[in-house]
Amino acid sequence: MSENLQLWLLFFAVGLGTFLIRLSFIQLHGSAEALIARSKHILMLLPPAILAALCIPAIIFTRPLTAYQVDSFQLLAALVAILIAKFSRSVFWPVMGGMLCLWVLRFISG
Amino acid sequence: MKDYRQQFWLGVRDLLPLVSGAAPFGMIVGATGISLGMSPEMVMGMTALFFAGSAQLAAYSLIQDNAPFVIILATAMVINLRFSIYSATFAPLLGPLPKRYRFTLAYMLSDQTYGLCSMPEQMQKNTAERIWYLAGATLALYVTWMISVLLGIVLGAGIPPGWSLEFTIPLAFLAMLVTTITSRLLFMVAIISGSCAVLFQQLPFNTGFIVAVVAGVSAGLLLPGLLKKGASSDE
Repeated sequence: MSENLQLWLLFFAVGLGTFLIRLSFIQLHGSAEALIARSKHILMLLPPAILAALCIPAIIFTRPLTAYQVDSFQLLAALVAILIAKFSRSVFWPVMGGMLCLWVLRFISG
Repeated sequence: MKDYRQQFWLGVRDLLPLVSGAAPFGMIVGATGISLGMSPEMVMGMTALFFAGSAQLAAYSLIQDNAPFVIILATAMVINLRFSIYSATFAPLLGPLPKRYRFTLAYMLSDQTYGLCSMPEQMQKNTAERIWYLAGATLALYVTWMISVLLGIVLGAGIPPGWSLEFTIPLAFLAMLVTTITSRLLFMVAIISGSCAVLFQQLPFNTGFIVAVVAGVSAGLLLPGLLKKGASSDE
């Protein structure tokens, strides 16, 4: 099977799943209030756990094919992004600030 | 009818300030897809099917890691679980609508819609007004999102790889992470999950990611009880 076809299948599966999640309680309207109340606690814990697991390894290490290497420029850029994110609620400015920091550091070090 | 149209445009207008956050994010999503070697049609198709930026970024990084189908699917679903909260919030409003409106608006539910339409002042309106307002905000975001991803695709093709554009993915997640941490417990959850992700990143098939999330959530469930016990035994 070609790689592209596999990706399209994946996109359709995620799209369908996401739609079903969005529709879930709207469709079940009137019969699922108790379930929501019970799962609220776990639903609150999931976002920080997932986001941390997604971003922290990718920030600490660069990914050459053989070994994982700690990248101090990326760490500094991440620090800048955290500081900006503390003040700005949008995702844009922390990303911009972090990238600018990374570019400046790389430019200076040549 | 005139009043409802007014509510629709009010929704559109209230969404516009949020474009400053959504449009750059959409451009990142578009440009990153291209930088990973995907065709423009693919990135647009993915965007239309997902209509969820964070899940799309997560899928990118897992596709890049050659993670198996099931792991990518499961991760995207877990990231999108928050939509079930929105679905529950708007169930009384959208549940009774005819199928085509119900399905269309459900498909377009977003963080921004939730943010705008769950504000206290919206609760004072009647049901029809709230639905029209929601439809305005939701459609406005949908159109904005599609256009900004397209812009990202167009611009992304011209960006050299030396700029490490893919580093915007972890940075975007980091920024979202900072805003989701609203208590010390959630901070601990993030620390534990992040450390486990680093420790177990060499595990095959990206299972380290799942281990990390499970560890973080379990810690979040168990820590409050443990801390309470620790505090009472000190006395």
